[in-house]
Amino acid sequence: MVGDGELKAWFFREVFPLEAALTRYIRRNWRNENDVADLRQDIYAKVYTAAQRQLPLNARAFLFTTARNHLINTAKRAKIVSFDLVADLEASFPEAASADLDRQLTARDELRRVQAGLERLPTRCRQVMTLRRVEGLSTKEVAAHLNISVSTVEQQVVHGLRALTDYMMGGQGRIRRSPSKTPAAKSESQS
Amino acid sequence: MSARNAIEETAAYWLVRQGDGLSGEEQAQLDAWLNAAAEHKTAFWRLEYSWEKAGRLSALRGPDTLVEAMVEAMAETTPSASPRRGQLRWAVGLAATLALAVLTSTALLWPRPAHYATDTGERRLVALSDGSRVELNTETRLRASMSPDSREAWLDEGEAYFEVAHDASRPFTVHMGDRTVRVLGTRFSVRREGEKVQVLVAEGRVRLSGPKSGPAAKPVLLVRGDVATGMGASVLQSRTSDQRVDDQLAWRRGLLVFDQITLSDAAAEFNRYNQTQLKVLDPQTAAIRIGGSFEATNVEAFVRLLQSAYGLEIDHDDGIVKISE
Repeated sequence: MVGDGELKAWFFREVFPLEAALTRYIRRNWRNENDVADLRQDIYAKVYTAAQRQLPLNARAFLFTTARNHLINTAKRAKIVSFDLVADLEASFPEAASADLDRQLTARDELRRVQAGLERLPTRCRQVMTLRRVEGLSTKEVAAHLNISVSTVEQQVVHGLRALTDYMMGGQGRIRRSPSKTPAAKSESQS
Repeated sequence: MSARNAIEETAAYWLVRQGDGLSGEEQAQLDAWLNAAAEHKTAFWRLEYSWEKAGRLSALRGPDTLVEAMVEAMAETTPSASPRRGQLRWAVGLAATLALAVLTSTALLWPRPAHYATDTGERRLVALSDGSRVELNTETRLRASMSPDSREAWLDEGEAYFEVAHDASRPFTVHMGDRTVRVLGTRFSVRREGEKVQVLVAEGRVRLSGPKSGPAAKPVLLVRGDVATGMGASVLQSRTSDQRVDDQLAWRRGLLVFDQITLSDAAAEFNRYNQTQLKVLDPQTAAIRIGGSFEATNVEAFVRLLQSAYGLEIDHDDGIVKISE
C-alpha cells in the first residue's frame, strides 16, 4: 500500500504535468465536449486507486492506458456511442515519444501560464487572487484591504483558483459559476 | 452543476480555507471529506498543484528591488533541483521578465506592501514614504502599504512603535489579525503574540476595533497612557503612569525595565531577545520579584546578577540556562 504523501508527490511530479496532453487525448476521442472535465476527474480517481497498490514505473503509459480503458467502458455503458468509436479507441494509443518535450516545456512555461491565467481573470477576481496568493495576504486582510466581505473574497478565490487551474493545465480558463451556495457555507448555516 | 463540478468547488473552498489555517475540527472535516472518495482527493491535489505554482509568482515579487527578487527566486529553487539546472536557468531568466510584468501590471492597480522583519535581539528603524517612522522590536514581521488615499500596516508578529505623521485625509491603520488600530497622527506601540494583542498610547488618540462580526466589535478609544490588551473577543483597558509608558517603551533604547515583575515573566521577556533561553525550574523561584533595568541582549549579565544577588543555582545546558533555588 502506497502512502498518500508518496502518492501526492507522484501526482505532482508525474501525472499533473501531463494534464494538457491527457485533455487533448480525451477531447480527440470523445464527441461531447461537456463531458471532458468529468471524464478526466474519473480517470484521476482510477489512477489514484490503482497506484495505491504500487506506483507505476511509467506514469505516462499508465495514465493513458487508464484513460483509454475508461473511455471504452463509459462508451459501452452509455450505449449511445457508435461501435466505430470504441474500435478506434481500442486501436489507439497515445505516443510516448513527446513525453520529454512536455516535461521540458513545463518549467519555463508554467510561470508564464500562471501570469497569463491571472491576466485573463475578471478584474476584481484577479485583484483578489493576486493579493491573496502573490502578495500573501490572508483572506481577512484582503477583505479589509478591498473593503469587501470575507465570503466575497472566498468566493472570488474559489472561482479564480478553478479558472487559473484550468488555464494552467492547458484549458481555456473558463469555469461555470455555480448558482448555489457552497457545501461548506451550507453546513455552516445549518448548524 | 455536475457532480464533478461540485467536488471541484468543494475542494477549492477547503483549499482556500486551509490557506488561512483550519481549526482542529475543520481539519478533521476536511480529512473525512478527502478520505470519502478518490475523486475528492485527486480534485483537491490538482487544485493544490496549481495553487502552489501560482504562489511561486510571489517569490519573484521582491520587497524592494528586482535584483533582490531574483536572488530570492534563485535561492528558493536551487537546493532541491541540482539535476535540473538547465531548466532552472531558463526559469530564472524568465523570472526577470515575469517579475517585471507582474510589477508593472500590479503596481498600477494597488500598492505592493513592503515587508520588514527583525531577527532575535535585533531592532530596526523604518522610515515610511508618508513621513511616518516605525521602530521594530525583536522577532517582528511587519508589512506596510502607502497609497494616495490610505496608509496601512500589518503586524504579523512581534512589537512595533509607530510615530505616525499627521494626515487628516489619510487615516493610518494597523492590522493585527482581527483587530485594527486607526489613527490620524500620534505615537503608540503595538505588540502581538498570536491572538493576544497589546496597544500602548504614548501621545494622541487611537481607535482600537475588534473583529467586525464579534461581540467586541464596538471600537475602544485610547488616549495617552492607555494600555489595551485584547484576547479572543475581550479587550481589557487600563490607565498607566507616564513612567510606566516610558518603561514599556524602554526596548527602543535596548533596555528592559522591570517593576517588581515575577522572575518567570522577566525570563520570558529576555527570551524574546536572545538565542540563549532562560528556563526557571521550580515555582518558588519563578515567583521571585524582579525590579530594575537591564540590557535586553545581555542575558549573561542578568544571569550573573541572579546568581550573586539572589544566590540562585545556574546551570548552562546547550543554549538553555536553567535557574533554580
